[in-house]
Amino acid sequence: MSEIKSESISSLVDNYSPSTDDSVSAHLIDNMIKDEHLSSTWQNYHLIGDVLRDEVPQSLQFDLSKTIADAIAQETTILSPKSSIQTSAQAIAKKTNLPSEDAFVQNTKTMPSTNAVIDATNRFKARVSSFVKPMGQVAIAASAAALMIVGVQHNVAENPSSITPSQVVQTMPLTGYANPVSFSLQSPQNESSKLQNQKALNEQLVAERVAQQRRLHALLKDHNQQVKLGSNIK
Amino acid sequence: MKFSALFLLLVSLNASALAAESESAKLWLEQLSKSLRELNFTTSFVVVKNNQAEPYHWLHGIGENSQELEIFSRLNGPRRDILRQGDIVSYIEPEQESYSIISNHVQSPIPTIFRGDFSELEDNYRFISVGRSRVLGRVAQLVRIVAKDKYRFSYWLWLDQETGLLLKMAILTRQGLLLEQIQFTHIEVSEQLSESLVQFQSTELPEIIKLNNQLKNRVLAWKVDWLPQGFAVIKSNQHNLNSHNQGENKAVEFMLFSDGLVEISIYVNLSQENFRAPEYASDGATMVFNHIVQGIEVGIVGDIPLATAKKIAESIVPATRDNAINNVQRSVREQQDD
Repeated sequence: MSEIKSESISSLVDNYSPSTDDSVSAHLIDNMIKDEHLSSTWQNYHLIGDVLRDEVPQSLQFDLSKTIADAIAQETTILSPKSSIQTSAQAIAKKTNLPSEDAFVQNTKTMPSTNAVIDATNRFKARVSSFVKPMGQVAIAASAAALMIVGVQHNVAENPSSITPSQVVQTMPLTGYANPVSFSLQSPQNESSKLQNQKALNEQLVAERVAQQRRLHALLKDHNQQVKLGSNIK
Repeated sequence: MKFSALFLLLVSLNASALAAESESAKLWLEQLSKSLRELNFTTSFVVVKNNQAEPYHWLHGIGENSQELEIFSRLNGPRRDILRQGDIVSYIEPEQESYSIISNHVQSPIPTIFRGDFSELEDNYRFISVGRSRVLGRVAQLVRIVAKDKYRFSYWLWLDQETGLLLKMAILTRQGLLLEQIQFTHIEVSEQLSESLVQFQSTELPEIIKLNNQLKNRVLAWKVDWLPQGFAVIKSNQHNLNSHNQGENKAVEFMLFSDGLVEISIYVNLSQENFRAPEYASDGATMVFNHIVQGIEVGIVGDIPLATAKKIAESIVPATRDNAINNVQRSVREQQDD
């Protein structure tokens, strides 16, 4: 009996109906939900299939649905649906010790290609997935918001360096700035005169360098020339 | 007693070994000199200095009437050739019209003394034969010409074991810092005069220029108190220093010294500035130094260390100061009159 059942379950897992009669499979599924042994068989076959197809998740959470069911059972019924979704999501996240998004993915993974069958037959699981879906969306939205905040902060942090120099340049000619008079009047002048001095100094240095090069080059050239012209004392 | 005898024996052995080394070094150098004068050779070499390499061709041969024929030609950039037929040396340069002079000196990357008498250098340099190595695929004999004092550079020569010709040369400081080197890249010795030299033999060289005798050997108004030992005056004159196409000619009093291997030029003139900090630059092994102290500008150029140039510059004093100024002013006036 159980062997035949296992076989039927196996073909169900492989997405084949064990018999042409739909009522048989429906009956089998009803049995499976009630019988703990059969449901664990169902679970194990899926796991075997996953292993064979090399689709095993990083960490195996065999009792995910049970954890979720427990979490829901502990939940007090709250009339406001939104907050209940949130709190249950938090509870699940705590229980499963997984980021809520992962939990969602995990859940859909443990419900492979036969999702439609389960959705039709297993209301409880369908309900769970309807719980988990918005929770995942919330998580995605939250992380997107976090990214935006980080991005904005990044932009803000990046900008000043490119802005400040141009500000300095702009404030220089504006001597009548709304700062303490002594400060605003003197510092830009100092700055500009310093800059001019620097420029003049640089030009002077370059000119000096060029003159020096010219002097030394003239000496070197003349030295070579004189050596070529040879001695006149003999 | 025994020990001291042994010590003496060792010292004498050492000394004799040293003497033998320097003796063989001198023989090698004499062989070089002889080969440079007597062989027909075609060579290529590269002068490496200031992080740059300048390639040259160097041909030498003995023509009719056992006249020496020689061509140096720089291969990169504008033509810069040195042609020699016996005593007539021609310089072909981009800056000025080509000219010839009668001289036994050739201002080429290879020091003229290499084909002269090395014993002239013995007072100031030590010759050391170091050993054999391989250069340009040949067996080379390394001979060092080491300055006896710290005021000069040392020269390392790698000579061809077979012909005695130069294969490589390096100029180093006393600390062993490499300043300039010449590496031969091709060397060919032949019985016959090479084709280019046969053609060159029948070429007429540019006109021989007459040196202006008026400004020669004048008594200068200053003197050099210090020079490294062995430097002797080659010439002294007054001439105009062309400040590099600026049109402003500067009258200078000039002296040229040589120790046989290295030439030092000294330029002195009055300056409007009273003081200018020492400035210098080096072109390979050639140091160019310039400063103004007490209104007198001094320039030193030569293949010498900076410290030597500085010391020479600082040693320059007017014969008597007033006299010096008068003299220079007079010479400037004369030049203006010209």
